[in-house]
Amino acid sequence: MDEILSLLLSVIRLCTPIFIAGLGNMFCERVGVLNLGAEGMMISGAFMAVLGSFLTGSAWCGVLFGLAGGMIAGAIHALICVEFGGLHAISGLGLTIFCRGVAKFMCVAVFGSTYSPNVQAIQTTELFAGVPVVGQWLKQLSPLVYLAIILGFLAHYVIFHTTFGLRVRALGDNPRAVETAGIDVWKMRFIGVFICGLLCGLAGAYMGLGQLDRYFDGMISGKGMIAVIAVKMGNWTPIGIAGTALLLGIFDAIQLKLQISNTLNLSPEMLAMVPYLAGIAVLCMKKKQDGRPMALDTIYLRNRYKF
Amino acid sequence: MKEMDTKQIKAFRGIGRKQVMDIIMPFFLVFLAFLLSSIWITFMGKNPLEAFATLFRGAFGSATSFANTIKKSVPIAFCSFAVIVSMKGNAFNIGAEGQLICGAIGATLAGALFRGLPAPLHIFLCIVASALFGMLFGLFPTMMHRFRGVDLLVIFLLMNNVAEYFLQYFVLDLFKSQNALVPSSRAIEKTAELPYLIGPPYRMTIAIILVLICAVVLTWFFNRTVAGYEMRAVGQNRQAARYAGIPIGRYTTMALLLSAMLAGIAGGLEVLGNYHCLYTEISPGFGYDGIPIALLCNANPLLAVIGSVAFGALRNGSLAMQAKVGISSEIVNVIQGSLILVIASNYFIRYLLNWRRRAK
Repeated sequence: MDEILSLLLSVIRLCTPIFIAGLGNMFCERVGVLNLGAEGMMISGAFMAVLGSFLTGSAWCGVLFGLAGGMIAGAIHALICVEFGGLHAISGLGLTIFCRGVAKFMCVAVFGSTYSPNVQAIQTTELFAGVPVVGQWLKQLSPLVYLAIILGFLAHYVIFHTTFGLRVRALGDNPRAVETAGIDVWKMRFIGVFICGLLCGLAGAYMGLGQLDRYFDGMISGKGMIAVIAVKMGNWTPIGIAGTALLLGIFDAIQLKLQISNTLNLSPEMLAMVPYLAGIAVLCMKKKQDGRPMALDTIYLRNRYKF
Repeated sequence: MKEMDTKQIKAFRGIGRKQVMDIIMPFFLVFLAFLLSSIWITFMGKNPLEAFATLFRGAFGSATSFANTIKKSVPIAFCSFAVIVSMKGNAFNIGAEGQLICGAIGATLAGALFRGLPAPLHIFLCIVASALFGMLFGLFPTMMHRFRGVDLLVIFLLMNNVAEYFLQYFVLDLFKSQNALVPSSRAIEKTAELPYLIGPPYRMTIAIILVLICAVVLTWFFNRTVAGYEMRAVGQNRQAARYAGIPIGRYTTMALLLSAMLAGIAGGLEVLGNYHCLYTEISPGFGYDGIPIALLCNANPLLAVIGSVAFGALRNGSLAMQAKVGISSEIVNVIQGSLILVIASNYFIRYLLNWRRRAK
């Protein structure tokens, strides 16, 4: 029983960053901007979160720093894709390389090596310790996990039950119609990418402060791309994303468990490939793309920039 | 992701009709990227001008450093060829990093396992093996893209992660050397090592000649053969190509596989020419270097050679910069990233430049 419960906790811990980043990506893709820079935003968030926690000594300040870091990266992506009319894929790729480079560069500059020292983290929720029966399990998760669950419900409500959500959904399918209806397409796209930056920053902060208590180079390795896949597989809905994130989290958890217990006698590097292979398999199995925003990855340029 | 239609391709090739603009633009973009990167150097309290001067001297200062720059530019050139070929076929190969790693693995296997072959044959076999391994690694994403419509960029980026872990597994476990100080794979046979064009202390191998041959052959292929012409047609305008009866799916697949082969050769030459065995840090991001080069040189293989030397200089000079000025050589990746970001906003920069001229 304990074994299964600890595995379950591990699944939840591992799927949380995919889920949070996936929610962000959903907003980004729903407004029609492809986001291959999710990885970069998460790196930026993770590094800034650890840096914030290191500088201020408070983990929650670190989370705020992480949000800011993700938002800065999101702002760069928004500026290039929405305002400058750049290709989304190239901008996202550049953002990932840029953030990885800057984070490693800054890590060496500030901490003196590619590993940061241990900082204040928020890995447990003492608030739930008093809950009868399940309290001892609940308190083992970071408060950010509970925040992610709340965010999931919130995102569902915002997307499907508010005017803003209606506009976001319309924007993803037909920006011209939305503009004709008198809505500022570029402002909406900016907001969408900004939300994505914030949530990816939060996902990064969770990886830096909720799962671990430090930053090291290559920490995010591919989690951002897996989040992009989760959005596609989850059919651009929060519930679908949660399902896919759980599925991918299960693979990750099993892989980690096998690495630690070493029952199958496989090398750890071999097992580390499993989450990516699972992601690729998930990506290849999806055939129909019903929920795909029709205007995804299209450039919608302001008239005054046309020449 | 949707295929890149003509409008998008135009957007990053540039819309301005002026030839002068087309020539000046790449230099201006590189200048902007350096400007962006110097912010970080200033942030560290160092003088960016001094830093870049050291970088330049480290890359071209002496005959040895120049030879090192050329050596570094060989894999970069092959990776940029890889991206160029894929761009010509209306796709975008960002999996060059993973294919490079697999090519290196292929060359190591062929170099260490075949014994007693004459040197030229063995080298040839190793290069073929590296191309084959690169292609096999590119085969799965390409097929998934063609037959199931899987997003090419996402699957390539994930495959890069897989390749990195597989390289670690290969070097640290499967094929590890028993008596090496640094974790490395078994060394290749003496007969598989590329011969020197200019011997020690420069240690320049014949790989550089292969780069030039490859650039010329690619130029010939795209300008003088039917297959090359049709591939270009697919890359420039899918719809028009389809109406002309060109099998677009087949050409895109072909371009991607050829591209993967070239990236594989890049890794193979690193093993055969430089290291003679495999390390986990075989590639500091050569595969991603090819992308800005291919975009800046407008997918022209001959210009890409010059671009690769520039990037090789950057990678080589950054080591001198790290030693002398104390700035981490990671700055190269920052420059690379800012360059891609600047290229992405190419259209807007052109707009700004245009606007100024009109205002005068």
